[in-house]
Amino acid sequence: MSILWWRRIFALTQKELLQFSRDLILVLATLYFFTGEVFIGGKGVSFDLINAPMGYMDHDQSLSSREWLNKLRQPYFDMKGQVTDEKQAQYLLDEGLLLGVLDIPENFERNLLNGVSTSIGFQLDASNVILGNLADSYVGLANAHSNQEWMLSRLKVVSPDQMQVPAIEARQIILYNPDGKSSWFMSISEMMTVLSMLSLFLTAAILVKEKERGTIEQLSIAPLTPFQILLPKILAVQMILLSGIAMSLFLIVIPVFEVPFQGEYWLFFLVSAVYIYAMSGLGIFIATISKNLAQVMIVSILLIMPIVLLSGAFTPPEAMPEWEQPLIQLSPLYYYINMGFGIILKGNDLSLIWQDLLSLFAIGSVLFLFGIWLFHRQFER
Amino acid sequence: MMNLHTVKTLAYKEWLEIWRDRVYFSMAFIFPVVMMLVLGFGLSFDVEKMPFVIVDYDNSDESREYSYKFTSSRYFDYKGHARSTKETETLVAKADIRFVLVIPPEFSQKIKRGQRAQIQALIDGMFTYRASMVSGYLAAINGHYNAQLMRSWAMKNSGMTEHEVQAMLSPVSLETRYLYNNELKSIWSTGTGLIILVMLVSPAMLAALGVVREKETGSIFNIYASTVSRAEFITGKLLPYVLISYINISILCLLALWIFEAPFKGELSLLLVANLFYVASAAAIGILVSTFVKSQAAAALISMLGTMIPGIMYSGLMMPVESMSAEAVVEAHAFPAMYQLEIIWGAFLKGQGWSELWFNILILFGFVLLFWSLAILRFHKRVDE
Amino acid sequence: MQTAVEVKSFGKRFKKTIAVEDVSLTIQSGEIYGLIGPDGAGKSTLMQAVSGVLRFEKGEITVFGEKIDSEASANRIKRQLGFMPQGLGLNLYPDLSIDENIDFFANLRGVAPEILHTRKAKLLDVAGLSSFKNRAMKNLSGGMKQKLGLVCTLIHQPRLLILDEPTTGVDPVSRRDFWEMLNQLVREEGMTALISTAYMDEASRFNRLSMMHQGKVLDQGTADEIIRRTPGWLIEIESARSRELLPALNDAFEHVEELGDMIRIGGFALQSAEAERRLGMILQDGTESWSYSPIGLEEIFIQKLDNRSQNTPQMRLTENRSSHRKEAVSTDSQDTLIRAEDLVRRFDSFTAVDQVSFDVRAGEIFGLLGANGAGKSTVIKMLTGILPPSGGAGFVAGHNMATSSMSIKESIGYMSQAFSLYLDLTVSENIDLFGRIYGLSGKRLKERHQWVLQIGHLQKECNTSAGSLPMGKRQRLALGCALIHQPKVLFLDEPTSGVDPIGRREFWRILVQLAGELQVAILVTTHYMLEAEHCNRLALMQAGKVVAYDSPKNLKATLKQQKGQVLSLKVSRPYQAQSILESNGYSEVALYGSRVRLFSQEPETVGKDVAALLADKGIEITDVMILQPSLEDVFIEKIESSHSREA
Repeated sequence: MSILWWRRIFALTQKELLQFSRDLILVLATLYFFTGEVFIGGKGVSFDLINAPMGYMDHDQSLSSREWLNKLRQPYFDMKGQVTDEKQAQYLLDEGLLLGVLDIPENFERNLLNGVSTSIGFQLDASNVILGNLADSYVGLANAHSNQEWMLSRLKVVSPDQMQVPAIEARQIILYNPDGKSSWFMSISEMMTVLSMLSLFLTAAILVKEKERGTIEQLSIAPLTPFQILLPKILAVQMILLSGIAMSLFLIVIPVFEVPFQGEYWLFFLVSAVYIYAMSGLGIFIATISKNLAQVMIVSILLIMPIVLLSGAFTPPEAMPEWEQPLIQLSPLYYYINMGFGIILKGNDLSLIWQDLLSLFAIGSVLFLFGIWLFHRQFER
Repeated sequence: MMNLHTVKTLAYKEWLEIWRDRVYFSMAFIFPVVMMLVLGFGLSFDVEKMPFVIVDYDNSDESREYSYKFTSSRYFDYKGHARSTKETETLVAKADIRFVLVIPPEFSQKIKRGQRAQIQALIDGMFTYRASMVSGYLAAINGHYNAQLMRSWAMKNSGMTEHEVQAMLSPVSLETRYLYNNELKSIWSTGTGLIILVMLVSPAMLAALGVVREKETGSIFNIYASTVSRAEFITGKLLPYVLISYINISILCLLALWIFEAPFKGELSLLLVANLFYVASAAAIGILVSTFVKSQAAAALISMLGTMIPGIMYSGLMMPVESMSAEAVVEAHAFPAMYQLEIIWGAFLKGQGWSELWFNILILFGFVLLFWSLAILRFHKRVDE
Repeated sequence: MQTAVEVKSFGKRFKKTIAVEDVSLTIQSGEIYGLIGPDGAGKSTLMQAVSGVLRFEKGEITVFGEKIDSEASANRIKRQLGFMPQGLGLNLYPDLSIDENIDFFANLRGVAPEILHTRKAKLLDVAGLSSFKNRAMKNLSGGMKQKLGLVCTLIHQPRLLILDEPTTGVDPVSRRDFWEMLNQLVREEGMTALISTAYMDEASRFNRLSMMHQGKVLDQGTADEIIRRTPGWLIEIESARSRELLPALNDAFEHVEELGDMIRIGGFALQSAEAERRLGMILQDGTESWSYSPIGLEEIFIQKLDNRSQNTPQMRLTENRSSHRKEAVSTDSQDTLIRAEDLVRRFDSFTAVDQVSFDVRAGEIFGLLGANGAGKSTVIKMLTGILPPSGGAGFVAGHNMATSSMSIKESIGYMSQAFSLYLDLTVSENIDLFGRIYGLSGKRLKERHQWVLQIGHLQKECNTSAGSLPMGKRQRLALGCALIHQPKVLFLDEPTSGVDPIGRREFWRILVQLAGELQVAILVTTHYMLEAEHCNRLALMQAGKVVAYDSPKNLKATLKQQKGQVLSLKVSRPYQAQSILESNGYSEVALYGSRVRLFSQEPETVGKDVAALLADKGIEITDVMILQPSLEDVFIEKIESSHSREA
């Protein structure tokens, strides 16, 4: 690779960057995706139970029943009040006005005082599984808590430590995100999704624009190999997207959501670069089979959905059905998510991620070579 | 005002074109099915099989018994023992496991002595939702084990009967009934709920592209230069896409039943009518978008973003409308997706019918009329450029 | 006669740009009215406004007495209107068959089924499409698409027909057939037609016309009137040493064009006597023969524009003449730089290029002519090494295209139909980019950069984005970029499409200089038949095959031997005259506006016979001309004889 070779690459890369900077809409869209979209992603959808509307049928109307109900409090639950009867409860649940209805039987307090087991009915709208799961879990915890207090008061001890009863105390340590802020997960995951989408779309769009305008013909008639034509585009996309990632990180993820960046910045950018390389191979593939920008968009979306969903960005691999497991290993985003979160939240270093990095590089190279091959072939038709 | 013969001519031509363009035609049918399957299987919120390891410093019968509670749970996927906490650090860091159960050295002795023993659970907090689920399961299993411990301890030391001990330890038990989705299967709700997202995006995009394609090639001039009325044109364009989308939404409903094994408890006639109005309103959105844009690229982008974002964020699919901010609630009500989601979940999971959901149908019909008339108002046969 | 369309000081602007300004015209019913002018003249805008599909701010348009000022009023005339937008077959539906396309248009227009049946049969018959009824539109040839478009536009028997560039990009035979079909239908059905074209040589087809440029009307009337109104002369000089004469001629005359072995000079302000004197001085010792030739609309168009825009100064291509002279001397001018030997290219079962052979020598301009889809671009793609051939061989600058495509790429310049520039980059950025791609840098790049700016007259525009340049400048920039590395071989694929006549003429002048001074071998493809005259030699392609291969002069001479000269008569009732002549045994009688045209070996005698015959039927003859056959006549003859050979 002579100086001339590099000079050509440089000239073409410079051209791509110039062209990008002249496309105001594209620049604005890229800026928006890396900042606004990541912001909305972090703020927007949360997998937390917030102010879930609850109702109750307190047939006992006693101090104990009220005490029990008081355990279900904000921010998780929003007690809407008494529901008159079963029929109304059914109606309110059907209409989605309440997430759950608690049914406290008559003689609740008397049974408690008499040492007779009693039960509380809990009707839960489980059509939204996340909320169903969370509500179920929180109500269960509240009940367990209340039971323990009751037992302690029966045994006349103030604190469990005084008690000479065998018990196991499970001390939970939530690693990496002790306060359980879903905005950390969501903003980083959104940033990665945006990067995936753009690395695919930008590469394809840059290429297909040349095809639409006919300039690709001029390039292929110039003394350039297909690799020489493609490489500058990939380089330009790299530069644009790495700056985008930097913007996301330093303008949104870190300052706004206060995500602690535990690892090395350079490693994260290296991993991102390898990921962009892999995705741009797919981008070339898309550009080769598309005739215009509209087709690029449709195909990008068709491809990006399985890539994002199979990556563990929303659902971790272990929760996927058996048959999907091997497919996960093929999604470049799976490795990127693993490494990216590892570096940002867990502070992983190269020694922990090199295997993933190699796998990603291998997948990327296969995609990239495939892209070049297809690109080369299309002129022969 | 509308000549049905002209509408039929336009619709038939459109249908022929879609039918002959094999790529476009297969896209029209493949796109929704692929989207549905991928999203349905990919977006699982079931928290099961969480991979974990145990560090057992005690290595006693008691510790093994305690561990067994976890290894035998369907929520956890036991990946083996590690010798030290240090060893597990890498595993958590590499996301090979999601939590570590650490049993300290004096575990069994403390229990035998009737003391409180501590165990440690290190949970990967990366996925916040899953971390809180793990924490809940862990507390439940631990509580269960404690109850067992105390029961036998109390029976031995106080001579109470099992029944009395039970009443003292957990005087109140919770009997939860999972309504609408009694096995708490996420695929039932996401699987059926996805229908509204997919069938919002795909008809809108298809219809928008269908019109803009004619603008790009110039064949739209045939319409401009003819006596066809605006209403005839919009209606004729709309019909084939409504038909295709109606077939699609029916396929997706069957997929939900067969592949995702969701139950169908409600009234079929309600669903059939609602589906029709829903896809018609979605296609009408697409036509409306096409009156604003000139290129296929813009049509694809705007119709997709314009439907996908409200479809995901403001439909109630991801987040119930009740927990949304005030502005988001307004936005949710201004879009057909939320109403159709209520119908789909109502008909599939809640066993509802006309008496509960007739108003939603009315609103959906209103949306069809609204978007249809807006498109007619926006479409001009004498244009500016 | 009734007025069909009346346009009064019509104006339309798109955002900032003025598309049409202050245009007025009147179309009588029953006439074929032409709008003639290059891209961007405002023809389409005007036609769309008349069709009622485009809103406008200024002026008034009345169609059949209905003032078009709203969507409602436009709707009222649309029943009587047939409009075919620009772009060959673009308003048709590619996946639908001929039959389905027609049915759609008929149903759209509410044609009753019983009428539709006979009407469709008749139109298909006239168009010669009856036997292809079930073929999908996308599988039709350009000429067939054009005819189908016309059939669809005519299916509801409109009173006014509006056709936007219906003949662009089709082969000469289809073009002729189209005009015949149109003439027949206009005559039989009493229609009025408004038709636009970018080909100046089609002017004679119209009864009356408006010549347009950049949104304004330059002149109006019949073609003859316009020509008569403009004083001027045109002299054609035949010379074997045309390149030597050029510099002196350029100094002496305003308009000088080199057309292969011929030079055409023209003048408008200059008196012809003075011109003859100057010419005599330049040719003093030569053996050249020269003669006056009739002025065409193209010359008038250029003359009218010259009064408006400043003429671009003549310049030399070589900044350092001596060094280039050496190069020029070192290459033997008889060197063959491009050679195609039985090139074949198949795509699946379709043969796009079928045994094409030709060669191009250094310093020669070689034309590859043909309609869209004739296979010209495929030939270029094979020769430039981006498309492997299915058979045959090709050599470019001494390299075999099969084995050394990289060496070929380094030694050629290429410019394609779309002027492959980056429109979002500035002029300078474009030049530098192509310079660097071809390995230039430093001082050398700077020199060549200047040179490109110079030949394109782009010095003032170096920081303008290429997209905002007018077509002519854009084209010169693209040419400059293709020449940045001083290639010995230049491929130009439809380099002049969309450029106005002035730009085209300027462009050809640069090409002639390149061939002459730098001995570059130039292969150029075009579907403008007028441009064929500029080539030293040419090959005409039809459906993948070369059907004619020689110099323009020889081709015309051969045709003259075969079929004689052209007799052109201006008559009072042309439709009638045509049918009288046809029924009296004269073959190939063509209608050109108010003229009938036929071939004859003895034009004088035949002219008298015909005149007597027509006078007998009460038809007045106002003008008789005897013309040399044009290249278009040659191409029609060649294409038809190749068809008959196949049949």
